Amino acid sequence: MENFIDFFMLRDPNVAWVVGGIICITAAAAIVGTFTLLRKQALIGDAVSHAILPGVCLAFIIAQTKNPMILLIGATISGWLGLLAINYLSDKTKLKGDAALGLVLSVFYGLGIVLLTAIQQSGNAAQAGLDKFLFGKAAALVRDDAITFAIFSFVLITIVFLFYQPFKLVVFDKDYALAKGLPVRRLEVLLSILTVSAIALGIQAVGVVLMAALLIAPAAAARYWTNSLSWMLVLSTVFAILAGLIGTYISYTVPRMPTGPWIVSILSVFALGSIFLGRKKGLLARYLNQRFHKEKMLKENILKVLWHLGEADQNFEAFRSVDQMQERRFIPLPQLRRGSKKLVLEGSLIRKEQKFALSPEGKEEGERIIRIHRMWELYLTTHMNLPADHVHEDAEAIEHVITPEIEAELAKVLEGAEKDPHASPIPYKE
Amino acid sequence: MIKQVPDPVLELHNLTVVYESKPALWNVDYTIPENHLIGVVGPNGSGKSTMLKALMGLVKPSSGYAHVYGKEIDEVRQRIAYVPQRNSVDWDFPVNVFDAVLMGRYKANNLFRRVSKADKEIAMEAIKKVQLEPFVKRQISQLSGGQQQRVFIARALAQEADMYLLDEPFAGVDAATENSIMSLLKEMNANGKTILVVHHDLQSVKDYFDWLLLMNTRLIASGPTEEVFTEDMLQKTYGGKLNILSRVVEIIEKQGHPIREK
Repeated sequence: MENFIDFFMLRDPNVAWVVGGIICITAAAAIVGTFTLLRKQALIGDAVSHAILPGVCLAFIIAQTKNPMILLIGATISGWLGLLAINYLSDKTKLKGDAALGLVLSVFYGLGIVLLTAIQQSGNAAQAGLDKFLFGKAAALVRDDAITFAIFSFVLITIVFLFYQPFKLVVFDKDYALAKGLPVRRLEVLLSILTVSAIALGIQAVGVVLMAALLIAPAAAARYWTNSLSWMLVLSTVFAILAGLIGTYISYTVPRMPTGPWIVSILSVFALGSIFLGRKKGLLARYLNQRFHKEKMLKENILKVLWHLGEADQNFEAFRSVDQMQERRFIPLPQLRRGSKKLVLEGSLIRKEQKFALSPEGKEEGERIIRIHRMWELYLTTHMNLPADHVHEDAEAIEHVITPEIEAELAKVLEGAEKDPHASPIPYKE
Repeated sequence: MIKQVPDPVLELHNLTVVYESKPALWNVDYTIPENHLIGVVGPNGSGKSTMLKALMGLVKPSSGYAHVYGKEIDEVRQRIAYVPQRNSVDWDFPVNVFDAVLMGRYKANNLFRRVSKADKEIAMEAIKKVQLEPFVKRQISQLSGGQQQRVFIARALAQEADMYLLDEPFAGVDAATENSIMSLLKEMNANGKTILVVHHDLQSVKDYFDWLLLMNTRLIASGPTEEVFTEDMLQKTYGGKLNILSRVVEIIEKQGHPIREK
């Protein structure tokens, strides 16, 4: 607990630099990553982040220093070369996009590991900690790092903000942007530069291996909560910063815990959680929606059964037992009980001992379903030329779908026909 | 039958376009007068969309040129609104109808300019014209095909152009939407706009268009509909390929031979 307060109150100035640095890195990655995701370049992000490793190593070999600015420049250049290589291979050779990605990723990364091993065995004392580029070193950020990252990410975010409108148009509809005369090629190059830079920045926190997650996961999670690009940018930034802080806190308190994997794990929780719970197309939302419709169909079917029974002996108010209802149409007992109970609560059914009867509202609703069912059957035979014995099943499903507007239109098209194809009367409203 | 006119608003001069060493347009050459409702008709893969893209400068011709209002396209872009094929974009993109139509107001010459209140009003007017007001705030993937097509048309309307180029606006669109789009286009045409539509359904050609381009990689005919829309011309457009031409195309494609010297 003390740790927690110390960390988040930023009591230790070293912690303050770490927290500041992490916020900059994760925010820049999330904002740029939103566009990367929408451009469907998630995998390119992964390949580019691996392609950055040899650049970092070469920059160190040449400059013999771990100055963050110099390493960033090396990283950006080699990330950019990786991107060019991917584009060249997939555009100009017979290789398909996925092969080009796989090739660039493994070749660059392999080269990076070779260089890294060579540096580590060279006996140069300054190299200590360079291997942190594999999995990140967020908890070890110092003042110089934080200031460099702040400037770098400020520039990235400002560029996105300035070019927000044209970026949005180019990513959504490139042809239209071209037709309008926007400098599409240059805007795309700018977006790619932003991506490579955000990756070069982000590997300081999570390392090259996991960088793609920092770029893509926040935006992917945000997409499940909103249908607006601006909100998506805000949400992905919030997700990324939160994950960054939590991950850093864990590696700060528990010794020998790597930062990058923790940040990415937290992000994965956010992303998975969004996939399940997300308001827009989340799995839970879909499941609830389906269940809602199933329950509606169950209730409407029960009302129908009672209405049918009422029609048979011209007594709509009679109380019927569960057995009578099941005889008319089989609905499994647990469902029948559950549905009837709900209908009683909603006031559509009246219960007396173990028997149920339609309330006036229930009768009207049951009648409405039957009316739609019979009108639909008639419509299928008269307007879609289906034989009368083919239409019942279709109507069983469609009766739950048709809205009052379509019902009115159906009534108009059928011109007040009195009977359905099976000679049952259509119960019009008086 | 290719009818050439003086002072054309649209002119293709000997235009040839090659896609991955396969000719998509071959020596297309026509002139079209102002204020017509023009149909572009031909079989699948006959270069209709490519011709539109060449007009807008989206594809580079191997030879020849396209002029609009007698000028290079780059000088007159503001006056021309392009409506791409509906399936050319990912409709899952996080924008709603209003935002998508508002894109018609973005200006190419000032990327940093934010949309103004006047822009928003114009976008709203365009949405009303295509009868999408009830869906203004809806995310574009939750629209029907016909509604999505109308979003594209509203975006073009918001541009307030003089000429409209529409690529298959009736593909995958219900009959009611097709009718309402068509009457909108006729109304715009009556107000002096030039409108060019890539179209598939031969039955409606006579009712829809007063000028016709018949294409099959090469241009078969260009002229007033009543003169061009004949059995003979349609036979030439749809009745098999020109044997020698298609054999030459095949050789070019296989050998990767350049179609023009230089």
